[in-house]
Amino acid sequence: MSGLPADGEFRGVGTGLATPAQAGTPGMSDSSVVGSGRQSPRRPRRGGLGVTGWLRWTWRQLTSMRTALILLFLLALASVPGSVLPQEGIDPAAVTQYYQSHPALAPILNRLSLFSVFAAPWFAAIYLLLFASLAGCVLPRTFRLVGSARQKPPRAPSNLRRLPANASYTTDLTPAAALAKAAGLLKGRRFRLHEGDGWVSAEKGYLREVGNLLFHIALLALLLSVGLGGLFGYKANRLLIVGQGFANTPTALDVFHPGRLVSPTNLQPFSINLDHFSASYVTSGAQQDQPITYDASLSYQTQPGSRTRHYLLRVNHPLVVDNVSVYLIGHGYAPVFKVTDGTGKVRWDGPVPFIPVDQTTLTSEGVIKVPDAQPYELGFAGVFVPTAVTANGELQSAFPAALNPRVSLVAFKGNLGMNSGTPQSVYTLDTKGLKQLPIAPRALAAGQSMKLPDGAGTITYLGYQQWISLAITYDPGQLPALISGIGALAGLILSFLVRRRRVFVRAATAADGSTEVIMGGLARSDAAGGFDSEFAELSRQLRDEHEGRSMAASQTGDGTVDAADDSFDDDSDSGHTAVPVAAAVSGTLATTDPPAAANPEALTSQEKE
Amino acid sequence: MPVNTTLADASNGLLLSTLILYALAMLCYAGDLAFARHRVLAGLDSATAADATVTEAKVPELVGAGAPAAGAGTPAGGRSVVPAPPDLPSDMHGSARTSRWPSGAWMRAGFGLTCVGLVLHVAAILTRGLAEHRVPWGNMYEFIGAFTCMAVIVLVAAAVWYRAYYMGLFVLLPVVLALGIDLTWIYTPAGSLVPALQSYWIAIHVTAMIIAIGLFVFGAVVTTLYLLADRSQRRLAAGRTSWSAGIWQRLPKPIILDRLSYRSVLFGFPVWTFGVMAGAIWADHAWGRYWGWDPKETWSFITWVIYAMFLHARATAGWRGRRAGWIHLIAFGCLMFNVIGVNLWITGLHSYAGMS
Repeated sequence: MSGLPADGEFRGVGTGLATPAQAGTPGMSDSSVVGSGRQSPRRPRRGGLGVTGWLRWTWRQLTSMRTALILLFLLALASVPGSVLPQEGIDPAAVTQYYQSHPALAPILNRLSLFSVFAAPWFAAIYLLLFASLAGCVLPRTFRLVGSARQKPPRAPSNLRRLPANASYTTDLTPAAALAKAAGLLKGRRFRLHEGDGWVSAEKGYLREVGNLLFHIALLALLLSVGLGGLFGYKANRLLIVGQGFANTPTALDVFHPGRLVSPTNLQPFSINLDHFSASYVTSGAQQDQPITYDASLSYQTQPGSRTRHYLLRVNHPLVVDNVSVYLIGHGYAPVFKVTDGTGKVRWDGPVPFIPVDQTTLTSEGVIKVPDAQPYELGFAGVFVPTAVTANGELQSAFPAALNPRVSLVAFKGNLGMNSGTPQSVYTLDTKGLKQLPIAPRALAAGQSMKLPDGAGTITYLGYQQWISLAITYDPGQLPALISGIGALAGLILSFLVRRRRVFVRAATAADGSTEVIMGGLARSDAAGGFDSEFAELSRQLRDEHEGRSMAASQTGDGTVDAADDSFDDDSDSGHTAVPVAAAVSGTLATTDPPAAANPEALTSQEKE
Repeated sequence: MPVNTTLADASNGLLLSTLILYALAMLCYAGDLAFARHRVLAGLDSATAADATVTEAKVPELVGAGAPAAGAGTPAGGRSVVPAPPDLPSDMHGSARTSRWPSGAWMRAGFGLTCVGLVLHVAAILTRGLAEHRVPWGNMYEFIGAFTCMAVIVLVAAAVWYRAYYMGLFVLLPVVLALGIDLTWIYTPAGSLVPALQSYWIAIHVTAMIIAIGLFVFGAVVTTLYLLADRSQRRLAAGRTSWSAGIWQRLPKPIILDRLSYRSVLFGFPVWTFGVMAGAIWADHAWGRYWGWDPKETWSFITWVIYAMFLHARATAGWRGRRAGWIHLIAFGCLMFNVIGVNLWITGLHSYAGMS
């Protein structure tokens, strides 16, 4: 594969070494068309080229289509582990769990950045190389497009019958008059013209290349927008129990991921209070337990002292304050406990958020830590079931709404390890320094207490609150990303719909004194098809205008116009067997010499989508 | 609003009828493939005898490399040269000035059944939506029902526009399989949407995905045929035998299949791109970020990249043809993994399959 001259390059001409000489072929002299771009990057002779030669060679390798294809493939391949392995950026808890279940493998994977694939240096290397390759393609092509937009279309080839689409007939007009009519017709169709002695050549469809470039430039812009968001934006999470509030400061946020250039002391100064939360569920049928609505009533202030506003926060309906968006991303229960220690002092009185372990029935788990309790520090691991049922002697939840809420607790005493200096999660209990108290867990209803043995104290379950978790994001790259995306899509559609095509007309006096008109046409890129029917239409119109005596020379009949759609097509027809295809396309060609000069491949091969 | 169970049951019945009609249509298409020529040779069907002779005339042309097209104008003998009607891409059974419509009893029956099946298919989706008072693509059952419907729409459109009636059997085969699995293992009763899906974006994002997948399914089937036909052709060219050569004789040349598949990707790729972007905007509304490498997002990205790779390969000498065909199939494999595998085996924010 590598040795073939067939490796299309991003760039056509201007790559230096290769063959402007070829460009002399009649009608194909537009440098952007002829194939120097198809040369595969030449390996510099050893010791022959020096540093610049090697650099140039490397650059050409990088910007070759083959490299781009390989990089695209690597990019796809590199993304796969990101979807299979748990990712730090998406679900850190799953990563922790993976460490526990694969203690030997996990550190190795971590060293390879496989738990943060999309932030990994090797992933960045792939996409940066790809974008470098892209830039290396797009920039020269932009210059070339500007250049070819300034130039006139190429001269008409001498033998138009060799072109994939052609037509000829005779007329009584003089050659000059016939050509003038042709030029007028093509001009009216907004072709760009180049008129010469006995010929008119016309070209149209530069928008295709514009679209193509727009698409690729928009992708570069998209990458920059994402980078912009990463530098100046931030993401945060906050769990909020009904009745509580917080201000948008790093200390009040549970998780805070600022961009590199974000000043944490300078966040948008809003504050939010959760007044009420309600969830409703399907109560019967096949979809029982499925949530129907989540409604969180917020009150918020854009800055301290400003007017308090209200907002009903729901999924798909974020609150936007000061360009910061606040999303409802989760909810759960926070049972309320009162813990009295052995000395009779109340050491805890309030809600403790429990985390759902079963999203369907909202069975939730959580821990209560009472480090101030005397004579022993106390810890509890609990399960909260919103609708308690007993199945096989086990406490289970039958429904996500709190119809029959119960809490079951396991009590520990000893050292919670909270003064050891190691940071602890509030949702897990480190039982290393703890001893489980010999008391059988039982399901507590609201108001019920559990008296701990050894005079350790009492815990009372008072009822429950609900909590919601909020995602708070500020991403200044959002709008640029959206614009880039729309640009990419527009460019894509443009480049797929528009075809670049050339139409040539020659008129000359024939032996019998009449004027013979020959038309030829060539679609350089006809991805969506349809050039042949356009050409047929054009040649019919021209003939009508010429009012020649050979009206019998009819164009393609109705029935074949659509078939023509399929016949001469896109950038790629010639990939298999250039000559037979061309032959099949045009019956006239089948009987002439293999078209060397007018081989459509010469025009089409180096397109890059 | 509660689910209208009458309509929901009607929808189930309609989808089952659709499946049966498609299966019958497949039989007819297969019959066309197997018998149409015999019928022709025996001259049993006088009504289509005219077509029959043309079939005879056209078959060699479709497989032959570069034989002059049937209606080729006389080259430059007189003063007027008419552009030759190009090699017809499709209808093997039509006359040289073909009508758009299929010919031959088997093919007509197959196409007719396909169209009736499609009407029922659309009706099944509509009644499901009416029963649920929402867009009927909220879980995997509905999603498969929708994109198979789109694939059949693409089939019918391609048949009429490009006279690709020969694709009937090959497109309906995966459609029937998918619908069968859909109605049995994946079936989910009608119901309401979880809050995360209650957004008008479902109508934009998921619809775009359905359209794109329908086009991609069609393209992948054509590409599979292309690769097989190409292989058979190369074997024959190398003087070896090819057991399937008889089938490919009744299809257009590989290059025309290749072009048809390319065209479906040309349509599908921008739609997919739009769908991914719409999904990103929705994700931004629902989850607070437009791109978060959720498994579904990751696989959409992978699919997009490999389809992009196919488009680039298709335009690069040395990569088009077979190699591009394989890239196309890899891209489609990623797509299918995204549609089915990610739903079943990987949990993420898109876990709406309703199968847990």
